[in-house]
Amino acid sequence: MSRASAPPDEDAFRAQVRGWLATNLAGEFAPLVGTGGPGREHEFVPERMAWERRLGDGGWIGLGWPESVGGRGLPWRHQQIFYEEYARAGAPGRVGHIGEHLLGPTLLMFGTAGQRARFLPGVLAGTQLWCQGYSEPGAGSDLAGLSTRARLDGAEWHIDGQKVWTSLAHVADWCFVLARTDPAAERHHGLSYLLVPMRQPGIEVRPIMQLTGTSEFNEVFFDDARAGAEDVVGAPGDGWRVAMGTLAVERGVSTFGQQLGYQREFEAMLATARATGAIDDPDLAARIVEAWIGLQVMRYTTLATLTPAGEPPAPTAPNVAKLIWGPWHQRLGELAVDVAGPAATVVGPGYQLDDAQRLFLFGRAETIYGGSSEIQRTVIAERGLGLPREPR
Amino acid sequence: MDFADTAEQAALREAVRAFAGRHAGREQVRATMASPDGYDLKVWERLTGELGLTALAVPERHGGAGAGPREVAVAVEELGRVLLPSPYLSSAVTALTLTRAAEDGDGAAAAERYLPGLADGSVIGALALDADATAADGTVSGVARHVVDGAVAGLLLVRCDDRLLAVAAADATVEPLDTLDQTRRQATARFDCAPALAAGSAAAALALHRVLLAAECSAAAEHCLGVTVDYLKTRRQFGRPIGSFQALQHRAADLAVAVTAARATAQAAVWTAAADPAALAPLAPLAALHCSRTFRQAAAEMIQLHGGIGFTWEHEAHLYFKRATATQLLLGPVGALRTEIGREAGLLPGPSGRDEIGRGSA
Repeated sequence: MSRASAPPDEDAFRAQVRGWLATNLAGEFAPLVGTGGPGREHEFVPERMAWERRLGDGGWIGLGWPESVGGRGLPWRHQQIFYEEYARAGAPGRVGHIGEHLLGPTLLMFGTAGQRARFLPGVLAGTQLWCQGYSEPGAGSDLAGLSTRARLDGAEWHIDGQKVWTSLAHVADWCFVLARTDPAAERHHGLSYLLVPMRQPGIEVRPIMQLTGTSEFNEVFFDDARAGAEDVVGAPGDGWRVAMGTLAVERGVSTFGQQLGYQREFEAMLATARATGAIDDPDLAARIVEAWIGLQVMRYTTLATLTPAGEPPAPTAPNVAKLIWGPWHQRLGELAVDVAGPAATVVGPGYQLDDAQRLFLFGRAETIYGGSSEIQRTVIAERGLGLPREPR
Repeated sequence: MDFADTAEQAALREAVRAFAGRHAGREQVRATMASPDGYDLKVWERLTGELGLTALAVPERHGGAGAGPREVAVAVEELGRVLLPSPYLSSAVTALTLTRAAEDGDGAAAAERYLPGLADGSVIGALALDADATAADGTVSGVARHVVDGAVAGLLLVRCDDRLLAVAAADATVEPLDTLDQTRRQATARFDCAPALAAGSAAAALALHRVLLAAECSAAAEHCLGVTVDYLKTRRQFGRPIGSFQALQHRAADLAVAVTAARATAQAAVWTAAADPAALAPLAPLAALHCSRTFRQAAAEMIQLHGGIGFTWEHEAHLYFKRATATQLLLGPVGALRTEIGREAGLLPGPSGRDEIGRGSA
């Protein structure tokens, strides 16, 4: 795939992103500033769906996708700039990120021309939302142990089983589902990657109430749900390879944006520490400085990872990054309630949490979701350091 | 910030690494650390002559190569990785400090007198920052403790309040010490009306020293990780390589994450020392604190994950463990560093040149 045009100058591109966000994150969208994202996925969902379409209209989805499929063909560095500016503006957490960052790249790697033509335009326009059907009650860290089954019957796949921890399932139009299509095969053999429409009688979505008192994940029940025979990505039985490809493309171009958000949260915590006098407590003061040190170290680590000529980072760089940001952010949440003191023990009506309380409670998820810290360590040890595999 | 080595820096790194491979093998390190002076004069002459490493820190007009902190850091990292007993880091920081002092118009005489010798290696410089000294009429009197490489130095930069004074070691009484870390010697230096020249600010020297120590620590920590991972792959127990046990895999992974972060932090500090030294106020202590404790963690893990063999005198792990510990102790208490970082970053109240975050007067 050739790139038709040279990438725009980085500074000019940054100015363009900043200008567009200033113009568009206003009026009806102004209330969305700071909403959505991990821990706040339940907020302003219809409004954020409209925002997704606005992003699509502006051409801000699929920045790194090739121009031949409707993307912008922009290099790594430009994508980073977009996410930095997006975070700086406090633009809302995306409802379309699963389609853009997981489904899209998977279709680009493994999909047929027909699948790309059918699905990519909707993702690019922000009109078609996706969710990910991987985890199951019996298959969390051990994804290959999944038991959702699919059987091809003429023109359709028939799907039975249950998925869990499915973000945005209640608003998604489609779900990519990893299901067992060869009942005789074991573990990661005999799985297929199916594209399943969410609005059909065979699918029921139930929200999961989290320890935060809100819901951003769901259970999804498949009871003879249907998918088109042609809607399998890669060969039937080859779903494990396709799914692993999807995980591998999650590369963290948005990391700098994430860190700008962390900086804001850190400053809010610091303001509280001064207001409550917590900063005069030696233990809390030490933790505040350590949190700041951790934030700088995180930033340098990201810079070092991404520096070499804009090349994508080492394969385990996202795992290393997660073991840095997950525990750091969790500790920031602990610090946020500790500096707030007894005031943090009182919630609003209807179990309404303030920012510090939400940060604190949601932090427990951040060393679990997207691969628990323990799984990350195993991946780093085996794929990064080349240690021999643990027998399993 | 662009952390990657330039082509010249990469070539320098290769050259120093090859040199270290030839002259700082395990047996050579052992022999040198047990020698009376604690360094090998022949190796020093090659390092300064053939390789020209001491010239890196000195401007061309003083007989140097006119490089800077980034190139010096490359040499410090590669020599530190193998723990070559050598006064290189001390001498290079001395040269960088005098160079900067001369640029700031506060050390021209000292620079003229000492930089050519520091460049060709005929003079070894050392920092006497832990000093209780007073200056009067162009002389200094007092005592400096824990002067690293002090016994082999020809020039001492002595802290006198917030200033530095250049003193010829011949004008001081230098008493060598036996050190926990035998790869890096120390001395006590006493001054009794020793002639002294202005040599810039103590803060600038301290910042450079911390940055280069951070670089050294990060490289040495990387070495500890590498050796440990190799061992985990080859040592077998219960019929399989011990690196296949999850408990050990996870410790190694945590160490890899810490080392990756320390490398990046040291690189950021070195880059800043070269490009924007004014920004070192919070970064130099931050990098020194972070990288020294990562090194200490790495060396401790190196011992633990090697099991019994890691506790022997014969194994190299204890040399790294002792270097890491000595480095961290000489940097001062963690709490003091943390307070300094907090103040310089505008987080904590207290004396610093800056406004606190969110409380700026602007």
